[in-house]
Amino acid sequence: MTTHTGIDNEALFALLSSLADNKQAVGRRYAYWCNGAPALEAAVAAAAMTQDELGHARTLYPLLEDFVQGQADLVQVEPMTRTLHYHLSALDSDFVGWSDFVATNFLLDTALTVFFAAAQNSTYEPLRQRARKVVQEEHIHFVHGAGWVRRLASAGGAVRKALLDSLQKIWDETLCWFGPTDDLSMQRLYQEGIIDATPDELRSRYLYKIMPVLGSLEIVFPVSFNAPMKTWEVTQPLAWTRWESVGRRWSQK
Amino acid sequence: MKQTTVKTGETTVARREALNETKVWQVFARRKYEEPLHEIGNVMADDVELAKAYARSIYDEFSWIEMVLVPRESIVTVIAS
Repeated sequence: MTTHTGIDNEALFALLSSLADNKQAVGRRYAYWCNGAPALEAAVAAAAMTQDELGHARTLYPLLEDFVQGQADLVQVEPMTRTLHYHLSALDSDFVGWSDFVATNFLLDTALTVFFAAAQNSTYEPLRQRARKVVQEEHIHFVHGAGWVRRLASAGGAVRKALLDSLQKIWDETLCWFGPTDDLSMQRLYQEGIIDATPDELRSRYLYKIMPVLGSLEIVFPVSFNAPMKTWEVTQPLAWTRWESVGRRWSQK
Repeated sequence: MKQTTVKTGETTVARREALNETKVWQVFARRKYEEPLHEIGNVMADDVELAKAYARSIYDEFSWIEMVLVPRESIVTVIAS
């Protein structure tokens, strides 16, 4: 709904805030590793991805001021003055090692891209335009993340263990980010044609993307493929007791 | 920059060595259709998909119309320098 003052859509405002904050936080975490990756090539790739992530955030934040919800508190639409942080709680602290970088690159960044992919034909034009560009740029991020997951998993020993720990650390919260089945924000976006999938469908698309890589490396998570329905499903309840629907993140322990 | 501490007894050095890349890829690219592919550099990566990602992020100074990787080990020397 658009009024003379701006767009009145709390669900869309919430999702855009979450996307922008997650992109901003991922970019900042990546930035620490631009000169600390295990190889020079990986460091350059980290720098390029940092630029991309921060760039995505910079294209999303200005959209917030078009909303009634944003105009109610303009401090919260500027990344420099914003005090709300609607990124995953896992991004509240620094990456402990390169494997945290790889896990975030492969799991969280891919999850966000699945959302953007679902918005490529969005009825909300500013998101549609951005989504197409983000999806295009994120292709190489996924190649990098998957490549490093293969690299670390295949190294075996402590290297593989560190990767598994890092993946485990953000696995549940990343799956939660799409929201529970009846997530009000996501369901409203779906009904309004802003995205073309429900939370469960988004989760399935996400697992469809990442599970072939993990499966080929014998990395097991509690999910299964429902062959008759051709969907991926979570087989173990996610920690919804920690879910904060407003911030689309887990509460701190 | 924090380094990961390993509790299993392996040292950070050993872990770094486990991740050392051994395969070199020569990177060739061109900017125009009428221009031949020419060598623009190289990247090191054991994983071909990672090699592609590296080549794209390192050699991004031009809008290439084509970029290919050739494993250095497959190059046959005819006249040695």
